[in-house]
Amino acid sequence: MQNDSRRKMVEMKGVVKFFGSLKALDNVSLNVYDGEKVVIIGPSGSGKSTLLRSVNRLEEINAGSIVVDGFEITDPKTNINKVREEVGMVFQQFNVFPHKTVLENLTLAQKVVRKRSKSDAEKIAKDLLAKVGILEKAREYPTRLSGGQQQRVAIARALAMQPKLMLFDEPTSALDPEMIGEVLDVMVKLAKEGMTMIVVTHEMGFAREVSDRVIFMDEGRILEEGTPEHFFKNPAHERARQFMRQIL
Amino acid sequence: MAALADEKKPQQEEARHVTIDVGDGAAIPSKRDAGLFTAWRVAFFGAIAIIVYLAVVRPDPYLDIIKFVPDGILVTFEVTVLSILLALVIGLFTGLGRIAKNPLINGIASLYVEVIRGIPLLVQLFYLYFALGRIVHMPPLLSAVLAMGICYGAYMGEIFRAGIQSIPKGQTEAARSLGMSNSQSMYHVILPQAFRTILPPVGNEFVALLKDSSLVSILAVADLLRRGREFAAESFTYFETYTIVALVYLIITLFLSKLISIMEERIGAE
Repeated sequence: MQNDSRRKMVEMKGVVKFFGSLKALDNVSLNVYDGEKVVIIGPSGSGKSTLLRSVNRLEEINAGSIVVDGFEITDPKTNINKVREEVGMVFQQFNVFPHKTVLENLTLAQKVVRKRSKSDAEKIAKDLLAKVGILEKAREYPTRLSGGQQQRVAIARALAMQPKLMLFDEPTSALDPEMIGEVLDVMVKLAKEGMTMIVVTHEMGFAREVSDRVIFMDEGRILEEGTPEHFFKNPAHERARQFMRQIL
Repeated sequence: MAALADEKKPQQEEARHVTIDVGDGAAIPSKRDAGLFTAWRVAFFGAIAIIVYLAVVRPDPYLDIIKFVPDGILVTFEVTVLSILLALVIGLFTGLGRIAKNPLINGIASLYVEVIRGIPLLVQLFYLYFALGRIVHMPPLLSAVLAMGICYGAYMGEIFRAGIQSIPKGQTEAARSLGMSNSQSMYHVILPQAFRTILPPVGNEFVALLKDSSLVSILAVADLLRRGREFAAESFTYFETYTIVALVYLIITLFLSKLISIMEERIGAE
């Protein structure tokens, strides 16, 4: 299934992360290849969000190594801001900037970080807003938008940086059920365009449709990995079987 | 630990508007507090009415006093505005210092806040003008503004710190994950949101500072109180002069409080 001649976008080796005395990540190793879509599942507190957040160093790990886009991000000499420019992140709580309009949400980092001109940044922003279906809200403040719309703004904001890798941390978990579809649609579209994605989610329908690999985590470890079909039909571990029964 | 908590969180972020209680300003009249609202009107218009009444019925000495003291109002405002500007600048850096991870910066900022808040403003004024004045001589107005700015900067620092910390952590994470540096995310994302939260308590400090500015009269700064003292000392009309001085302070303070409450409601309505 994996072809190791492909370029590794993320290479994690022996990653350990403690929160106090709690071992959130316990010797985790994981490679994600260019263009691959990896879905991470697992029960609450299994470390899947911590794993994702360590990829762009929102969590600093205690041991192991993480190479992202060729940069060892645990190396203090690595300019983490440069790495983050290439790694988009979407949060459960959207985290749109409430004091900026939708358009400004998309142009801020383009101007400040990418040093694009206002007109270039706005052109890219408008194209992306059209793509996620909320161009007509460009001048609104995000607090006037529904949760699903806010999350689509957040996705477009990350895409405006033209990242090589997108991280999604339970992007639909804070949404009302009727809004989940509109966000997943955007993510499916993005996956089909070839974006490299790591997605923490319980949406197995999404996993089945786009993911190359599903990773099951429990107690800070990767317990099992395989195709979405493998998890639907016959997970090897009892914990994984239990979990699949609960979410399906 | 929060990163591990995967349970569903409410759809909206935590409340945006955090009330920061600072108890040393004037009471801010608001429509929610009907009693205070009425009291504001009675006090404000009552004070004006009494001044007008006294000026008309007993122009000697009241009209003379009213003609003499207004020069001091300008000085009072001058001291207040300059001090508050200094306090804002000091407060911003102190607030940033208090949340800094660097132990040295954090330590200096915290020490400043602890020391300044532990010494009475009047003593600080004496210290700057009379004690340090023996080493570096400063004009009274400069000493006054420096002392008031440094003192209120410590309080302002705590307001800035609370305002910055009231912004959900997710905002910083979103900014940082877009590749912004720590200072870029502070400047573009956190501070603009924090300013809305801290505007009311800063207004409150402004009123408190205006009242405390009467202390500078001991440094021979010709503020409202000082002008009153000069007039009273010459004419021996202590009762009449200080009555007018007190009423003028009251009117100014109540007027500013009202402005702040209007501003606060505008922000709340947004």
